[in-house]
Amino acid sequence: MDMERRGVTIFLLSLALMGVLLFPGPGRAAEKVLRIAQQADCNGFDPQKITDVYTGTLLRQVYNGLVQPDENMIFQPDLAESWENPDDLTWIFKLRQGVLFHNGEEFTAEDVKYTFDRLFDPKTASPGVTHVREVDKVEIVDKYTIKITTKTPYAPLLANLGRYEFCMLNKKGVDAAGEDYNKMPVGTGPFTLESWRPGDSVVLKKFDKYFKGTPKVDKIIFRGIPEDATRVIEMESGGVDICMDFPPQDFERVKAEGKFVMYEKSALSTNYYGFNTSVKPFDDKRVRQALNYAVDVDALIDSLYFGLGVKSRGPMSDQVWGFDTSLPEDPYPYDVEKAKAMLAEAGYPNGFKTKLYASTQSLSRSTAEYFQGFFAEVGIEAEVVSLEWGAYLAETRKGADGMFTMGWSGTGDADGALTYLYDSQNIGSSNRVFWSDPKFDKMMYEGRTTLDPEKRKAIYKEAQTYFNEEVPIVLMLSRNLIAATTTKVKGFAIYPNQVYQLFNVSLDD
Amino acid sequence: MWRYIFRRLLFLIPVLIGVSILIFAIIHLAPGDPAETLLGPSATAQDLEELREQLGLNESLTVQYFTFLINSLKGDFGRSIRTNNPVLEELLDRFEPSLLLAVCSMTLAIVVGLPLGVLAALRQNTWLDTFCNLTALLGFSIPGFWLGLMLMLLFSIMFPILPSSGYGSWEQLIMPAVVLGTNTMAVIARMTRSSMLEVVRQDYVRTAKAKGLNSRLILTRHILTNVLIPVVTVAGLNFGHMLGGVVITETVFSIPGIGRLIIDAIRFKDYPVVQGGILFFAFCLSLVNLGVDLLYALLDPRIKAQYRAS
Repeated sequence: MDMERRGVTIFLLSLALMGVLLFPGPGRAAEKVLRIAQQADCNGFDPQKITDVYTGTLLRQVYNGLVQPDENMIFQPDLAESWENPDDLTWIFKLRQGVLFHNGEEFTAEDVKYTFDRLFDPKTASPGVTHVREVDKVEIVDKYTIKITTKTPYAPLLANLGRYEFCMLNKKGVDAAGEDYNKMPVGTGPFTLESWRPGDSVVLKKFDKYFKGTPKVDKIIFRGIPEDATRVIEMESGGVDICMDFPPQDFERVKAEGKFVMYEKSALSTNYYGFNTSVKPFDDKRVRQALNYAVDVDALIDSLYFGLGVKSRGPMSDQVWGFDTSLPEDPYPYDVEKAKAMLAEAGYPNGFKTKLYASTQSLSRSTAEYFQGFFAEVGIEAEVVSLEWGAYLAETRKGADGMFTMGWSGTGDADGALTYLYDSQNIGSSNRVFWSDPKFDKMMYEGRTTLDPEKRKAIYKEAQTYFNEEVPIVLMLSRNLIAATTTKVKGFAIYPNQVYQLFNVSLDD
Repeated sequence: MWRYIFRRLLFLIPVLIGVSILIFAIIHLAPGDPAETLLGPSATAQDLEELREQLGLNESLTVQYFTFLINSLKGDFGRSIRTNNPVLEELLDRFEPSLLLAVCSMTLAIVVGLPLGVLAALRQNTWLDTFCNLTALLGFSIPGFWLGLMLMLLFSIMFPILPSSGYGSWEQLIMPAVVLGTNTMAVIARMTRSSMLEVVRQDYVRTAKAKGLNSRLILTRHILTNVLIPVVTVAGLNFGHMLGGVVITETVFSIPGIGRLIIDAIRFKDYPVVQGGILFFAFCLSLVNLGVDLLYALLDPRIKAQYRAS
C-alpha cells in the first residue's frame, strides 16, 4: 500500500470513529446534567473549614447533617430520624439505619461522635465551633443512638446543627484522604465529587445508593461566575440551567422577557448599619433613634437593591423562626425633621462628626455613601472609611470609632439572629455594636434556655420590641434572594439561608 | 552566549529574593490577617489566637520570612489557607489557562498588528494609513470589559456560535483572546508603523535600493529585522504582563487564571498563595525578559556581539 492510500484509509477511519463518538447510536440514554452558575467559587469540601454559603450549597449535595432546614427554614430529620429531650440538658438522637457513606461504610453513632470530636479539636480550627459552645458531651448510646449533653438547657441546638458545618463525616474517609480531605470528601449525600477545578467548576456525580433514593439528575456542574453580567449572559445563552444569585439589576428585564422561570424570596440574612454603642454620642439611645429616622431606607432599597428587598421591621428577617409578625410595618419612617429635633434634644443641635466604616465590597461602600448623604441632611458630617474585608473584621472587632455595616444570616432560629450580634457575652467577637444591656442579655438567656417553643416565642417577641426601642443599629433590610431557571428545571426552590438542597431538582427532556 | 544566559539566570536569584522580601513585607504589614477572614465575624479572640498559633503567625516576621524562604528553596510553597491545596499545585493549575490565553492573544496581536503597522507605514498618508491608525486607536481605547461583554452579546446571544464564558475548550478561548489581544495589537501596530517610518529613511535602505535589490527583499531583510527590535520589546512587556494574569479579562470570561487566583488570595489574606503567586510571576517575567533579550541578539548582530563580549 503506498503512502497516499494509507493516508486516505486512516483519514476515512478517523472520520468513521468521530461519527461514532459524536453520534451515539440509539438506546444510549443521554446523561442528565444540571448546570448551575453561582456567584462564588468553591472553597473545598471539608465542612468544618467552610464559612461561605456558596460552598455550603455544594456541601449540602455531598453530605447530610443530623437535621436539615427545608426551604421554609423548618428543621427536618435528616440523618437523625427523631429526637427527644429526656431532660433539659439532654438530647437523644435516633439515627437512621442502613445509610451508606460514599466509601461503602455504614453511617452509625461512631461517625457522629467522630464528627464532633474532630470539630472540637483545636487543630481543626473550625469556625463551626462557635455554634456548639454550649455542647458539653457527645456520647454513643448504641450503634444508632447518640446523646448530646449541653452545659445549660439549650433550645437553639437543633437549628445550629442544621448548619453545613455539621455535615456528618466518616473517620475512615477523612483518614484515607489525610491532608487532601478538602478535595476528597466522603459523605452520605445524594452526590459524590467527581472533579473540582478551583476557580472554575465542580462536577458532582449521583450516588446510586443514596438513602432517600436515586437523584433525578446524573450530574451537577457548578460554576462559580463572580461577574454579574457574565452570569446572566451565561444563562441567556443557554450555558446553564439554573442561575443562582441572579443580579437584581437584570431581574425586571429578564422577568419581562418571560423566557425563564424567576424565583424570589426574602433572605434569612439582615443587613444593618451598627453603632458602636460604647462610644459617644452613640451611647445615647435618642441619637440612635434619631439616626434611624434620618435614613430613607426605602430609597436605599430602590436604588441599591433595585427594589428587591424588604425594609427591616426589627433586628431579624421575617424568615427567622421567632420573628414577631405583630411588629409595626415601619418602626422608623423617614422623617428628617423628627431626626433633627431628637438630635437637638440629645444635645446635638448642630450635629457631630463621625465615621462610617464599610468594606471594600462595592455594595458596602455604596451603602456608606448613601448614609453619608442622609446624615448630612441632619447636620452630621460623616467620613466614609473603606477597609479590606480582613482589616474590616479586625477593626470592627476592636470597636469601630463610629458606625459599620454588616450582614448576618445566623441559623434560622431567633437565638442565631440575636444572641451572636447583641448579647454582651459576644462583645469582642460577633457583637460588634458593643451593646451591653442586662435586660436584653437576660431575655437572650431565657430564650435559649427555655425548651418550650411557645414560651420561647413570647420571650423573643418581647426582645424584638425592646430591641426596636433601644435600637443599637440603623435598621436596614433583608434583601430578596433571586434565581432563574430554564423551563426544563423542576423542583427548584430558594432556600432563605442560601444553602440549597438540589436532591429534588429534575430536568425535563 | 551560553555564559551570558547562565549569568542572567544566576542574576535571577537576588531578584527573586528581593521580590520575596518585598511581597512578604507588604502583605504582612497590611492590616487584617487570614485568621480573621478564615474564621469570620463570630470568632472569639481565643479562636483567633489558636488559629494564628497554628498558622505560625505569632512568630516574629523574621522567623516567618526565613521559614518561608527555606521552604520555598525546597520547592515547598506551603498550602493555601483558603482551600488547603498545595500552593504550587494551585499555581500550576491556574497558570495553564493564563499561559494559553497569553499565547493566543499574543499570536493574534502580532499576526494582525504587525502587518497593519507595516501597511500603514508603506502607504503613509493614504486612506489605508488612516484606516490602520484608526483601527489601532480604537483597539487601544476600547476597555476590555466592555468589548468582552459586547462580544458575548453578539456571539453568544444574538448569534449563538460561541460559548460565553468558562475554560476548557478552544471555542471558549476565542473571545477572551480577541479582547486581550486587541490592546496589544494596537500597540504593536503603532509601534511598527513609527519604527518603520524611521527605518525606511535610513542610509542602508537607500543603499539597498540603489543596489537594485527588489523591494520585497529590502522589506524583509533590511527593514523588518530592524523594525522588529522595538516591537519585540513592547510585545515582550505585554506578554509578561499577560502571564501574570489579566484579572479583568479573566473575570469577565470567568477563566480560572492566575490573576484571579492572586486577587482572591489577596482579598482572603491567603499569605502562602499571594507569596508563591507573586514569586512565580516574578520568575516568569524574568524569563520573558531574558527571552526578549535573546531575541534582540537574533535580530541584531551588534547586540549578539555585545553579549559575546560580556
